[in-house]
Amino acid sequence: MHMDKHQDVIAACRFCFMCRHLDPVGNVTFQESDTPRGRALILDTIRMKNESLRNRDFIATIYRSALSGANRYHCVSHYDEVGLVLAARKDIVEAGLAPENVKALTETLSRATFTVKGKGTTLYYGDHLELYPGCKIVSGGDPGKALEVLGFGDDSQKVFDRFRSAVVASKCTTLIVAEPSAYDFLKDKFDGIEVVHCSEHLLSGKWKAKPARKAFYLESDFLKNYDGNPAAPRELLARYGYTLTLFGTNNEESYSVGEGAVVFDELNPGLCEKLCRRVYDLAGNLKTALFITPSRYVKATLTKYNPQIRVMTLEEAVAQRKEQ
Amino acid sequence: MIPPNNYLYEMVRSELSWAVGDDHVQTGDADKLGHSIDYYWVPEVWHDRGQKLPPPDFVVYPASAKEVSEILKIANTHKIPVIPWGGGSGSQGGALPIYGGIVMDMKRMNKVLNIDPASMTATAETGINTQHLEWAIEKAGFSTMHFPASIACATLGGFIANRGTGVLSTKYGKIEDMVMTLEVVTPSGEIINTLPVPRHASGPDLTQLFLGSEGTLGVVTKATIKIHPIPESRKFHAFLFKTMHEAMIAGSKIMTSRLRPCVIRLYDEPETAKLIKRVLGIDKKGAYLVFGFDGPAQIVDLELEQACAICREKDHEDLGTEMGQAWWDHRYKFFYPPYMFHLPQAFGTLDTVATFANIEKVYWAMKNVVHENFPQAAFIGHFSHWYEWGCMLYARFIIEAPPKDPHEAVALYNKIWDMAIRAAIKEGGVINEHHGVGLKLGRIMKELYGPAFKVLEDIKKTLDPNNIMNPGKMGFPSKGI
Repeated sequence: MHMDKHQDVIAACRFCFMCRHLDPVGNVTFQESDTPRGRALILDTIRMKNESLRNRDFIATIYRSALSGANRYHCVSHYDEVGLVLAARKDIVEAGLAPENVKALTETLSRATFTVKGKGTTLYYGDHLELYPGCKIVSGGDPGKALEVLGFGDDSQKVFDRFRSAVVASKCTTLIVAEPSAYDFLKDKFDGIEVVHCSEHLLSGKWKAKPARKAFYLESDFLKNYDGNPAAPRELLARYGYTLTLFGTNNEESYSVGEGAVVFDELNPGLCEKLCRRVYDLAGNLKTALFITPSRYVKATLTKYNPQIRVMTLEEAVAQRKEQ
Repeated sequence: MIPPNNYLYEMVRSELSWAVGDDHVQTGDADKLGHSIDYYWVPEVWHDRGQKLPPPDFVVYPASAKEVSEILKIANTHKIPVIPWGGGSGSQGGALPIYGGIVMDMKRMNKVLNIDPASMTATAETGINTQHLEWAIEKAGFSTMHFPASIACATLGGFIANRGTGVLSTKYGKIEDMVMTLEVVTPSGEIINTLPVPRHASGPDLTQLFLGSEGTLGVVTKATIKIHPIPESRKFHAFLFKTMHEAMIAGSKIMTSRLRPCVIRLYDEPETAKLIKRVLGIDKKGAYLVFGFDGPAQIVDLELEQACAICREKDHEDLGTEMGQAWWDHRYKFFYPPYMFHLPQAFGTLDTVATFANIEKVYWAMKNVVHENFPQAAFIGHFSHWYEWGCMLYARFIIEAPPKDPHEAVALYNKIWDMAIRAAIKEGGVINEHHGVGLKLGRIMKELYGPAFKVLEDIKKTLDPNNIMNPGKMGFPSKGI
């Protein structure tokens, strides 16, 4: 089983409570099973008794994880509980036990095809080509990350192969990626093509000083907890006049409403709404507060459950200031 | 335990759903598993060896004292056990559903209701995670000064139920010193409040009755606690003494001279060699003593200087502020894997408390009894949570390779506990200082209290005639197996 490679995580997490305060799902369902300890206990049970893999309640719990990475980041030993859950999902899929809603979503994601348009030597993968003059754009859907986190490794590879073909055919040597989940997925996948996050690229451009504007910055799970917490997004926003204030009571929790699980809202809408409500509750006055997130997933999800909230993506925040 | 194929199961589930809503009554295997194991070694080893753990019949998540009251009324009607559950991180088995029944998970009751800056108090529901509580209080510019190793996992109610403590207890007190007043739902479902202030001459103190009652006398649903200003300065200093005895003399003198450290920790020679080396990287022989002061900067400097002067009266090595600060910075690291003891090891924290006159006798009595009777067990300890009159001993036994058979392993484990705790009691100790009694130590309660235990039993019978509240814990009657 894929889980077998993560025995150290099972052994460390199954009786450990030291990061439970950071599990975004556990903090809204309050269920013991929705914490790293709870999931590790389930997977330990499966380790000892393989037929427990068929338990529908166990499977549902494993697909309810938001995979935020906040727990791993917090742990002094950084045990990779997210890696364990992803391995368990692969085992579930390979045993033919994926839930119906997961399978349905997989069919849609597997159909992604990619096209390249425009002229330039740099390729951009995102929604705001106006910020990247002289760049080509590649579009067509998720490049395989979503399928990977759902446990469908082979399907993920097939979609990525199509994405790679489009990128290679563009003859560009730099790929700028906006969505953090895609950046996390793509950054180590190419030989001879440099993958950069959009904030790094935009930071290298010219800018004019702008008047100060306060905003809450909602950290990206991928950028903060998976990709070394780069300073570029915050530096970029500061350059464009945004004064970022701490959201909530601390800088450890994830408020990115399931971003780590990429298609969390599609899979668990009721639960995702609860994650959003936690953000609304902590925000105070939604009509006056401004939120900036690097992730269009986070923006779309937060505005889906309360259209009153004012959220911009990082690129939108920059674009708006460029226009002023 | 109600068999799920018995239609009574559905009757009870329907009633619980009326009380808290369908979404807040869980009967799935995943959540039952999570509520079958706490931080007690026995269920851990039971799970590890593939044994079946007693699960709850239902896990319910109330959102108010009224819902708690409704649940207790249902439990009384059907005479079903109710086991309050906070963070589940108790080490004494106090939250285990050993007879099935209803686990009442309190974590939905997680709101900070009021912060009173004039009185420096805060009121919160007791299901709040203590780290979340501290963050909320800090955002308002104050601190609970409650920094237990379990801050990330335990709830306010869990600390109240077990008389818990934090690393700064020497100045700011244990939870029983922090609490002003409580809201409690009694086993019959009545919602009561204890007096609004903790100092009075208006009869016995009901607040203190419920503190440490481990869910056997009711469910604490709300608490008002003291809060504190963020100190201007907090400084630490560490010394190494040749022997634990010399360090103990220094530590006790700091306390009896009525200095007000926020923390003192003294590690015996084996723990200094093992854990201080592993976690802090200090590789030295002797007994490591660290202390800290906080408050206005001038006072901190003065008190720190006085405490250092006391330590310098004995043969010592001055490790300076840096090695003291390192301890503070890594104070929780001891409890994360792989630094914490873990299976397949057998391990237990034999924590007790005694006066300065007795505490070293308690230490040696426990250590000798473990070494003489269980040569396979290591014994280490440190002294934390210091008072004007004595201190707490956080002793631990560790067996690297306990018996494979879970029954044999647990029997051996219990034997060590029984002998070590009895040795402590004989020298003036008690069975526990801040983890509680739970399932683990209930059998020794009558010995500890003597005839006074009947007072506790009578209180239990009066408040909980049907014995629904956490039966079989704290030495109170079981439901029968």
